[in-house]
Amino acid sequence: MSLSTQQADNDSQYLMVAKLDNARHVSTILKAIHFKDTATIFASPMGLKVTTEDAKCVQANAFIQEAIFHEFTIKEEQIIFKINLTVLLECLTIFGNSSVPGVTASLKMCYAGYGQPLLLILEEDSVVTDCSIKTLEPDEVLDFDFCSTNVINKIIMKSECLKEVFSELDMTSEILQILMSPDAPYFQLSTFGNSGSTQSDFSKESDMVESFQCTKTQTNRYKISLLKPTVKALGLSTRISIRTDNRGFLSLQYMIKNEDNQVCFVEFYCAPDEELDDEPGH
Amino acid sequence: MLEIKDKQHQKLSRCIMYLLFQFALRTVNSTRSAYAYMLFSPSFFTHYDDGSALLKSNDSEDEGLRCKVNMKSMLTVFKSLSSIERSVERCKITLNTPEARLVFQLYCRHGIVKTHNLAFIECETLQAVFSKDLTPNRLTAHPKLLCDAVINFQNNQEEVTLIAKPDKISLKNYVDDEPDPKKVVLTEMHLDPNEFDNCQLGVDTEITFCLKELRAILGFAEVISLPINMHFERAGRPIVISIDSDKTFEANFVLATLADCENQTTHTQSVSQNTSKHRMKSQSKQKRSNNSRVKSTAPSTSDRSNGFGNNTKNKRPAPSFDEEFEDDFDEMICNDPTVDQLSRVEHQNIPNKNTTASRSTHPVTVPNISHTRQSNTPPLQSSSERADSPVIPMQCETAKISFPAETLNQSEMQDLDEDLDDTIPGTPPSKKFRSMIFGLSQSQDSQQSKNKPLQNVQVLAEDTDEDD
Repeated sequence: MSLSTQQADNDSQYLMVAKLDNARHVSTILKAIHFKDTATIFASPMGLKVTTEDAKCVQANAFIQEAIFHEFTIKEEQIIFKINLTVLLECLTIFGNSSVPGVTASLKMCYAGYGQPLLLILEEDSVVTDCSIKTLEPDEVLDFDFCSTNVINKIIMKSECLKEVFSELDMTSEILQILMSPDAPYFQLSTFGNSGSTQSDFSKESDMVESFQCTKTQTNRYKISLLKPTVKALGLSTRISIRTDNRGFLSLQYMIKNEDNQVCFVEFYCAPDEELDDEPGH
Repeated sequence: MLEIKDKQHQKLSRCIMYLLFQFALRTVNSTRSAYAYMLFSPSFFTHYDDGSALLKSNDSEDEGLRCKVNMKSMLTVFKSLSSIERSVERCKITLNTPEARLVFQLYCRHGIVKTHNLAFIECETLQAVFSKDLTPNRLTAHPKLLCDAVINFQNNQEEVTLIAKPDKISLKNYVDDEPDPKKVVLTEMHLDPNEFDNCQLGVDTEITFCLKELRAILGFAEVISLPINMHFERAGRPIVISIDSDKTFEANFVLATLADCENQTTHTQSVSQNTSKHRMKSQSKQKRSNNSRVKSTAPSTSDRSNGFGNNTKNKRPAPSFDEEFEDDFDEMICNDPTVDQLSRVEHQNIPNKNTTASRSTHPVTVPNISHTRQSNTPPLQSSSERADSPVIPMQCETAKISFPAETLNQSEMQDLDEDLDDTIPGTPPSKKFRSMIFGLSQSQDSQQSKNKPLQNVQVLAEDTDEDD
């Protein structure tokens, strides 16, 4: 049809075109990392990576693989731009948040190049919305230099049991202490708040724990305010992998299944609170 | 079991200041107009060990630990009731005395253990003096009946009036001095005495008390699905709501009621508390006069209070009661002809009192003076706060204040001043008045405190005519 060729011609001007049947696949993932207003988007032939950071201490990455999109074309190896995540999410959810089965909003994302806005075209039930969001100069994102060779302790568990614990964390406590050890108590989360201390112990024998690889006893403290945003991602996820490396940096990886049973990943990196410890600089 | 505990904590959340754990839990609200007391027998728990074997107390009378924990901290343990119901298998409560921590360990499914270490501080027993069994009126009902009744009242309704007559029991919303009757919604609900499981009415009564607290109590009762008993007398005397049909625990809630404006002599009777239906071994340890352990914040009266304590101790009745004053009942009635006078005097001064707490009286502390406050006395604060009336009797001129120092807020300070004045018969009201006005924080120095305001009063602007 002439319309589709017209579209195809129009699309050729874009560096990146991504089409998706259900905008919620993207919006849900992005909500999981939405603790800051701006995000940096990295687009590559592998898909999209959206990064948010806070306080130079915590970084969240959402990976939306190319396979999630039913059409994904990109003309360059890497496209980077910064965008207001709040606005992006508002546009993606412009038809509302309710997930009525069968009714989905389809999404088309186009990006023409440096300085050009990100275009979103959403359609639901023959109602079409056009959004044009200004893009910003991308900032340097932190490289936490977290490589698997340095990982000392790693636990993979089902998210269920952690959801409760994290959502009930004592916010009067400034820090969250995470202990991972090959010996008892194996995995312990502690808070020290106004009312006293609270510890949650997870046994490695627990049926919630899928994989337990701890080589050394490590106790690390992280600012609770930095980890609070992870609760959202935790809530959406089915499995979580918790890793700490030799510097005490924490890596949390969440496996999220969307409505179509496709899998996406969100990961958080957090630097430890070095107030009292004398950790060697890295 | 845990559920009950959880619910209890949740329901008390609104009116909390202190929690005393002793396999009994007691709390009182910030204005001291509502008091809750729950006693758990060892059978409530799957395993109970009060550590008596290991107990080494310095004070030979001091057996069993009395401590208080901040209610907010307690509630964080039981924050999410639904998740607790879902996942907690058992709860273990231990007292870590060396580190002053009350430890709650929740053993959950999937091998997860949550440990909460709550800081506690030792304190004196919080004790309300009230009598359940001596009240002429008594209603027993399933909480559902009352829940259905109170649901008809607006959510922001603060107080409710219970009118008990032989032919019907009515609940009416209480309207505080509303100038424009047209702006007020009046709700009235009548219940037939037959609807109650038990209805014994000795006197026709009309009492007003806090609806919010009643709602909390009913919510708790409904969850555990046990009938509640309401013991009440007349306006000014507290209403006691108790749940005692379960053998494993007993809950008592004492709510202050509004004093009847015609009735000024409300604190002539003293009543004793009868809470011990359970013969628990530790009870025997606790049976001592609370008074003797009660530390008055005013050093000048502490001796007196101890003295008083000793008196009552000697009169201690049978071991089935603990912390009681039943024998003192008559003594107290006859004891103080001056009491009423003084109270009336205080009474006149009260209107000018600049209290932040609406409940300036102390219904729930042991030998405390009760202050009556006319319901038509306009309070300085918003009309939603109400005056209440006391429970506690004047035990004798010497008996005094029992609440710990740190609880004292402005109004309580002032009350303390008044209390102290009462101990010195014939103290001219004007001094009290001044001390109230100036709201001193050091109520201990009663004499000094009275002097200070006098000095303050005398410091006025300099005479402009003076040469300088």
